[in-house]
Amino acid sequence: MSVNDFWTPFALLPFLNALIIGISLISIWLIAALGLTIIYGTMGVINMAHGEFIMLGAYSTYVLQTLIGIPFLLCLPLSFLILAAIGWVIERGVIRTLYRRPLDTLLATWGLSLILVQGVRLIFGGEPQYVGVPSWLNFQIQADFIHLSGLRLFIIVMAIVMVAVTWFLLYRTTLGICVRAVMQDKEMAASFGIDANRIYSLTFCYGAGLAGVAGSMFGALKTLFPDMGGGYIVEAFLVVVVGGVQLAGSVLSASLLGELNSIFSYFTNDTFARFVLFTLVVVFLRIRPQGLLAEKMTRR
Amino acid sequence: MKVSRRTLLKGAISGATVAAVGAPHFFIPNPAFAAPWIEKGGKIKVGVLFSQTGNLAVVENDSTQVVLYAIDEINANGGVAGMQVEPVVVDAKSDIKVYSEKISQLILRDRVISTFGGYTSASRRAVAPIVMARDHLFYYPTCYEGRECTQNIINTGPLANQHSQDLIPFMVENFGPKVYLIGSNYIWPKESNKNAKVWLERVGGEVVGEDYVPLGGSEFTPIFNKVRQQQPSFIFSTVVGDSDIALHKQYLQEGFKVDKMPIASLTTGEIETRAMGAEAGAGHFLSAPYFQTMENPTNQRFVEGYLASKYGGGGVTHYNMEETYLSVYVWKHGVEKALATAGDIEEVTPRMIRDVSGNIEVGDDISPEGRVWIDPDNFNIWLKPKIGQCQSDGQFKVIKAADEHVGPDPMSIYPERGVCKADGLHQPDGTVKTSVL
Amino acid sequence: MNGNIYHNRKAQWAIYLAAFAALALLPIFFDSPFTLNLLARYCVFALLAVSVSLVWGYAGILSLGQAIAFGLAAYGMAMTMQMQYQDPVSDPIPSFMLTNELETLPLVWAPFWSTPIGLILTFGVPTVFFIVFGILMFQARVAGVFVAIMTLAMTAAWYSMAYDMQPFTAGFNGISPPLPFQIFGTEVDPYSAGAYWVCVAFLAVLTLGAKFLMQTKFGLIVQAIRDDAERARFLGYNVAYYQVVVFALSGFLAASAGFCWVLIVQYVSPTSLEIVFSISIVIWAAVGGRTSLLGAIIGAFLVNGMQSFVGDELQQVWMLILGAIFIGVVLFLPRGLAGFFELVLGLFSGRREPQKSDWNTGRTSAVTKESAE
Repeated sequence: MSVNDFWTPFALLPFLNALIIGISLISIWLIAALGLTIIYGTMGVINMAHGEFIMLGAYSTYVLQTLIGIPFLLCLPLSFLILAAIGWVIERGVIRTLYRRPLDTLLATWGLSLILVQGVRLIFGGEPQYVGVPSWLNFQIQADFIHLSGLRLFIIVMAIVMVAVTWFLLYRTTLGICVRAVMQDKEMAASFGIDANRIYSLTFCYGAGLAGVAGSMFGALKTLFPDMGGGYIVEAFLVVVVGGVQLAGSVLSASLLGELNSIFSYFTNDTFARFVLFTLVVVFLRIRPQGLLAEKMTRR
Repeated sequence: MKVSRRTLLKGAISGATVAAVGAPHFFIPNPAFAAPWIEKGGKIKVGVLFSQTGNLAVVENDSTQVVLYAIDEINANGGVAGMQVEPVVVDAKSDIKVYSEKISQLILRDRVISTFGGYTSASRRAVAPIVMARDHLFYYPTCYEGRECTQNIINTGPLANQHSQDLIPFMVENFGPKVYLIGSNYIWPKESNKNAKVWLERVGGEVVGEDYVPLGGSEFTPIFNKVRQQQPSFIFSTVVGDSDIALHKQYLQEGFKVDKMPIASLTTGEIETRAMGAEAGAGHFLSAPYFQTMENPTNQRFVEGYLASKYGGGGVTHYNMEETYLSVYVWKHGVEKALATAGDIEEVTPRMIRDVSGNIEVGDDISPEGRVWIDPDNFNIWLKPKIGQCQSDGQFKVIKAADEHVGPDPMSIYPERGVCKADGLHQPDGTVKTSVL
Repeated sequence: MNGNIYHNRKAQWAIYLAAFAALALLPIFFDSPFTLNLLARYCVFALLAVSVSLVWGYAGILSLGQAIAFGLAAYGMAMTMQMQYQDPVSDPIPSFMLTNELETLPLVWAPFWSTPIGLILTFGVPTVFFIVFGILMFQARVAGVFVAIMTLAMTAAWYSMAYDMQPFTAGFNGISPPLPFQIFGTEVDPYSAGAYWVCVAFLAVLTLGAKFLMQTKFGLIVQAIRDDAERARFLGYNVAYYQVVVFALSGFLAASAGFCWVLIVQYVSPTSLEIVFSISIVIWAAVGGRTSLLGAIIGAFLVNGMQSFVGDELQQVWMLILGAIFIGVVLFLPRGLAGFFELVLGLFSGRREPQKSDWNTGRTSAVTKESAE
């Protein structure tokens, strides 16, 4: 194997193109990580089943669309509600007892992910399914070297919408103030009359719901199969941790990681790009464990 | 506690010493069992080693079902050499570690005479060491990269050289010389692409791009972007599994036109087209030795019989299944031929079956894809590759079938390494290497 | 010393020695090569669980990266065995390298011509990597959840590496050396009693060594750091030093497991470096009881034994059961089966002794840099 087979030589236009593809990757990383940011950030819960929440979101869209015949756009909020409901059950059943043992939630949610994967496999079978893309998204934008499919554009827009809504909820509503108060100091918040447990429940529901919306879109873009969630979990965690476990940080780190991934993939290949990226993240966490945007806060 | 720690430690140490002194004896394999592999008056036991659960089950469950179907069929027609066949079905759980555990169970505990199993190359390589160490016999019923030369594996799927020989000239002739190679990132696609390049060179085609995605990867935008710049005449795909479905879906979303730049695939069969939705599959090409729609009485019987049986719940037959089906008959003929040589069924060993399997033929009356036979040198299969085009219902229309059988050649692009013969790889310097993995 | 025999050191040593003696004597009763090989596999898994128990149960470092040491050692061993099969003159490079157009043996493979050097690398490379990685993490006072995520990312990185560097690793297909391991002029048949004893010996010696170490002053300091790293630091102990040493030791244990694995299986592929596998190891230790080395061994035997036997019967629902077991253990038996035994034995000894260290609830494990400062 010669060096040139491995390294693609630099050329400006394709490189710019790689940067633009990066935006598409960013939106996917961000959407996948958003729910996790909220859950981990507020509750300190390591939800290893987050990828499976995304998978469930994709499957609920599949059921709503293929079996009931609901249009795709309407499937998004419905998936949100379904996953929020599932999240509520899981929070009540499993997570609630583990708030004081964050490392144990990691193991419990891992067990949960096994159950969810196998449950879906039993109900829907292991063979891949697909979510139909509505015909109004079947267009392409072509301008000079920029090329973007309608679905990609839709996902980018949705990523912006989801971040904006989350930001609004967190920073412009009373509920958001309560959430941030609990985030900073649970005991202190409780002494001001905030029902921390209720906040936790709501946050977990909301985070799960976001994963549901993510699943709807990934289902349209890719393939549905019971194991699909495993492909998102590591990236999602890295985005969250590198970002410093907060909204703006996640946006920033998703942007950074997505672009870097796209650039590395351009020069080498996707698999090697992952290796470089993960190693960089480990080194970065060594230097700056608090993440990109440091915010002093108490972890539980 | 009466026993003191010291006494216990002493005991442990002296025990260890005894073990160490006596060790060389214990490292030697147990002497071969005197008991015959097949007992008179009993049943002939064969192993069925596929994944029935986990992510590989989508394909491998069909393999299990079709082996059981073939065995039922054989048993109903009087069995093998007058004896009934008993399948020992185990579940590899889509886990490489379990493949290697289960193959030793089949060989050492259940004492099956042969095993049918595997779909990924990784599973073949995981079972190979014990199969070779015990001189056993493993039927690997799917396409693979070749480049191996062992004494204990019989393969009934096409090798890389058999795929490209017809497909590449056909595509170049009909769509043009420029090809973009996209594959999953592992050995089989790379090996297939190397073969494709050999044929491209012969017909004057050129490679305008070559890219690999991780197994299970589903992001094709960067690759399609390069494809758009290069404007190839067609895409040659060796992308497998879930990624293959993502490839076709994103091809559609990117607005490519199937009549301008179709995908010529080695993998996109009836299961895949069903899973991606017919609109994503229609118009693309597949090279395979078998399609469900093949029109001949044997195939009609096979499709109807299989789908109506209790094993046919999957609803389709596809090339991988058919290759698996053939392997059971290759085995049946092998046992019968070995019996004729040995005279006594109790004398028949797995190795004996392998040694007589060269030139064993599965005729038009049994093989849904038409007559095939086993190569006497490298124990892969002679077959007629066919090219099918996916229709709007997800089924394939055979648009070209090879006139002549194409022979398997595992070392086709590595002539400098030697020639694979029945007794091993004959290297250029005259030495023979028996188990090249 | 109080009443509960669980905490009696003599009793503990007796139980440990009895357990390993029983394991060592098993070949007398089971002559089946299949059973022996299967048990040897369980011993390898048990050794991995012990490595997690050491680093997590005793040092409070949740490492999801044990598969790295296991996988690196497994690749080292497979390379050693593959090169034993190759011939320097007629057949100098493994066949899978042909696909990737290698004409000469790559430099990383060259040392493996020599079996002793190959073995040194098999054990040395993972251990050194764990030392370096440990220094990297613990000098920066990374703790708790962050260690988990960093080791997770590192595992994912190594997996991609093994998978992508196909000219050197054969990628997804993996390396299967055609012949068993040869040493001192003998062939170690993977299905012989000898290979089984090698695995049991590694398990026994390393477990007992770890147990002994954890009872020394060093071990007590390590446990003190687990319970409160800050307090240990104020007392003047170099916390990072102790953490790095324990982390590297656990890496060495996992590397030994990787060596034994290829010895008895003759195969390695990137799945040995998978995240799923890495987390499974932690689960075995959790089921058996993270704070007990013997508990971890029992956990590994139990989960894998059930997977081999019960899993076949229940096929489709098995993963549901497995998942439920994990959740159940975490929720109701945070100290695993060993904790359960401790409780039961405590009842028998007539004196309830509430074990009230914070560690029981795992609270201190969440100490991060921020809250520590």
